[in-house]
Amino acid sequence: MRDLIEKYAGKLARDRSAAPGRIGFAANDDAMVEGGASDLSRLSSDVLSRLSCLGMLAAVPSLPFPEYLVRRAAADVAALVPLDTETRTFLHDIPFVRKEELRADPAGRIASLLSARKGVVAEGIGIVAAGPVTLEQAYIHYSSVFHACYVKYLLDALRDGFRLPGEAEAFRAFREERLPAPSAEGLAFRPGPLGAPEEVLAEIRDVGRYTVERGLVDSFFGNISYRVGDTIYISQTAASLDELSGCVDPVPMDNRSTAGITASSELLAHRRIYEATGATAVLHGHPKFAVAMSMLCDEAGCPVKDCWKDCLRVRMLGDTPVVAGEIGAGGLAVRVPPVIGAPGKAIVYGHGVFAVGRDGFEEAFRSMVAVENRCREEYFRRLDARRGPGQSKSE
Amino acid sequence: MLPRENILVVDLTSGRTRREEIPPELLHAYLGGRGLGVRLLRGRHTLPPYDPAMPLIFATGPLCGTAAPTSARLSVVSRSPLTGTVYDCSAGGRFAWRLRASGLLAVLVEGRSPRPVALAITSAGEEIVPADALWGMEIGDTVRALSSRGSVAAIGPAGENGVLFANVMMGEGNAVGRGGLGAVMGSKNLKAVAVDGDRRTPVADRDRLDRARADAMRLFRASPVIFGELGIAAFGTPALVDLMRQRRMAPTENFRRTVFEESSAYSGPAIRAAYGARKDGCFGCPIQCKKSGTDGRHLPEYETVSHFGALNGISDIHAIVRSNDVCNATGMDTISAAATLSAWGEARGRFPSPDEVVPLLRDIAARRGEGGLLAEGSRRVAEALGRPGLSMTVKSLELPAYDPRGAYGMALAYCTSNRGGCHLRAYPISHEILRKPVASDRFSFSGKARMIKIAEDVNAAIDSLVACKFAFFGASLEEYAELLSGATGGHHTPQDLKAIGERVCLTERFYNAENGFARADDGLPERFFTEPGSSGEGIEVPPIDRARFEEELTKYYRIRGLADDGSFPDPAFLSGQP
Repeated sequence: MRDLIEKYAGKLARDRSAAPGRIGFAANDDAMVEGGASDLSRLSSDVLSRLSCLGMLAAVPSLPFPEYLVRRAAADVAALVPLDTETRTFLHDIPFVRKEELRADPAGRIASLLSARKGVVAEGIGIVAAGPVTLEQAYIHYSSVFHACYVKYLLDALRDGFRLPGEAEAFRAFREERLPAPSAEGLAFRPGPLGAPEEVLAEIRDVGRYTVERGLVDSFFGNISYRVGDTIYISQTAASLDELSGCVDPVPMDNRSTAGITASSELLAHRRIYEATGATAVLHGHPKFAVAMSMLCDEAGCPVKDCWKDCLRVRMLGDTPVVAGEIGAGGLAVRVPPVIGAPGKAIVYGHGVFAVGRDGFEEAFRSMVAVENRCREEYFRRLDARRGPGQSKSE
Repeated sequence: MLPRENILVVDLTSGRTRREEIPPELLHAYLGGRGLGVRLLRGRHTLPPYDPAMPLIFATGPLCGTAAPTSARLSVVSRSPLTGTVYDCSAGGRFAWRLRASGLLAVLVEGRSPRPVALAITSAGEEIVPADALWGMEIGDTVRALSSRGSVAAIGPAGENGVLFANVMMGEGNAVGRGGLGAVMGSKNLKAVAVDGDRRTPVADRDRLDRARADAMRLFRASPVIFGELGIAAFGTPALVDLMRQRRMAPTENFRRTVFEESSAYSGPAIRAAYGARKDGCFGCPIQCKKSGTDGRHLPEYETVSHFGALNGISDIHAIVRSNDVCNATGMDTISAAATLSAWGEARGRFPSPDEVVPLLRDIAARRGEGGLLAEGSRRVAEALGRPGLSMTVKSLELPAYDPRGAYGMALAYCTSNRGGCHLRAYPISHEILRKPVASDRFSFSGKARMIKIAEDVNAAIDSLVACKFAFFGASLEEYAELLSGATGGHHTPQDLKAIGERVCLTERFYNAENGFARADDGLPERFFTEPGSSGEGIEVPPIDRARFEEELTKYYRIRGLADDGSFPDPAFLSGQP
């Protein structure tokens, strides 16, 4: 278990979702094992001992957004409800606990919330996430909560401005110092067309890792595929894009074999994109500004309530189409293929970016980078327009 | 608190019936289904399976009859004549829904009728009716004869003749399988139970239930195993044939090998091409994993095609489908039947040919000729032939179609299962092979003891709700606890449900211990420790490391609070339980 604790602590540090040195794990095999920052690993252990669960993670997020969301919430609110697809599908909501509720028995209070949800935000502590069956799950649930809070905070800040003392200053520091623009520079891509399976698998493995390293996706999310003839090589479901060795399924286009039952839940979308576009590579990530911006709509008086699945419009974010659609067997696989061909990229409402390469992954990767940077620019343009670019005081 | 529920108690010896309220504290502590059934066995759990006083319990759960997906199910609970363990099996169809609609959560049948009878239940009452004319009938004819009385659960000739792996078959083709509860039913001279309730099941908070249902459905749609284009909704469980071949863990020729090169002959796509494989399934289930042919026949599940296929070296899809037909018609478990034939085949030096299987199955159901011995299951067959090592069983239950050398959590779970070598108690295939909810290393024992313990508890809760385990390739107890809260108006959490599951698992183990089961019974057949599987294509399938297996088994006991020999430190465990 100690090797796994080290592994996931390293991933949290590398993907910059947790503050360095402020990560604590506990795992319960036949005895409790702790690792990382002692106060946080002790808290993890205390929480874990009250639940039927294998792993626990408590960490201080690298950004104060989850904390701000709690402090900005109305007094009678007890959970954050981000509206991005990952949250809607997997987390449902994110309960939080305020500092004053943690005085008597913090582990007990957190355990009680985790008895019904995958992760919680504890004010003054950070994010605490459970791994019911594996330690990796605790890491995944932490990532999900962090991602959801990040996106929600971007949207809330744009809509409502800054409300807390120091919030505007912290956000400016985030914008100016903590937010390097994604880029494809310095990365090596194998020129297509690729043919030999070993070559395809190696390129998928490398590009998957690039997407994580360049901040286009948190490790666990997203999927990637390459088509050779009548075979789609696609990342498996629940695979981390920076650990794809042995986690790619070859799936025949005609479904004559079902060995690909473990393929990504977006297999159908990838297949239809190949059928519709003639592309050879598909890359899907969840870059946060693209996710956030896709959820902003100016349509006045629109009767659609569940925009994420029921909106039939094709909106444009710059030159990138935005469509709605549920993941997996939902509408995404129907609505993305018709719009992705000409621009080579599309955003799914609240979910993420699909990008294609006609000849290999480089085009897809550069498209995704461009979409995220364009969305980031547009986000800050709107924020500045709302607040005035020089404003820094709390509202 | 759960709403008040009633049970029908039927004494076949006296012919008397009574409806009574189930003590609320039992519902709170055991929910329904498997948990309630196991609790109701207390005090009679050491009786021989065929003792007239041994109960046979049909129990639905608190979600049955509501809009909670995959919950129109029930568990049947008793003691197995095949394994000697406490036994339960969950089944869908329409029977459970009709039973709940008759105002009953459960039916407990005890005693032995002096002549064949059937039990007919409606919302207005129940009656025990003569069934002499039905005795000897196959399942299809029995169901047709009783169709005016609603949904039917019946035994076929196998149950009447005491085949140790006889099923109770639901009229819609679903089976209460594996452990021979059909033979227990036969021993009571109970041919069938028909139910035709027409009441609506009350729901305390419909909005909450609907929201939870929507949450669960989103997760179903996000799961490639459930609604993916290669998943079980599309191809049924035979979708696993190609995957198990690719993972090199398809038991072949009585587990001598783990790859059957001709398995694509009976894969999901092959069955669809040959038989149509249209969607079918349990009442109200959105997944509809069961598949029927264009001629209406129920098509075989993964374990059935693999065991009548690879395990016996047969690639003839039509012979496999016919074997399934005979088992369904006579009321026999396909896994145990195929595995028994396979062990017998290895012992005699020749596996049965495709043409031999159907006549052999009919002989087993009738206990005719060699069928008399084969009806006893593979352990007894192998022992009778002087080759006990050829029985691929744990606690006398034939192993299903996941070779334990290809998934070490599965190896452990076969042994810790309270009903014997079953894949469904902890269902580690979910994470070791299908990557749900996350992947685990199938060739490692690390952490598996805790994983298996937690999963056993979770699945015991699922079996007590009663929901389908396939739902949990997408959803989790998080959504099902919320469904339960919506249905009952109470506040239920996943941790509450796991605690109930743990209570059920420990109770079962305690019953087994009182019937003489100990650590020596929690072991795999020797073959898996001494013979490798079929390595190749970059996948090594070595024998299982016995020392590492035993170490993890000891860990499991400690995590469960048991002594290192698997026994209970507290002999008064039961008296501390509700």
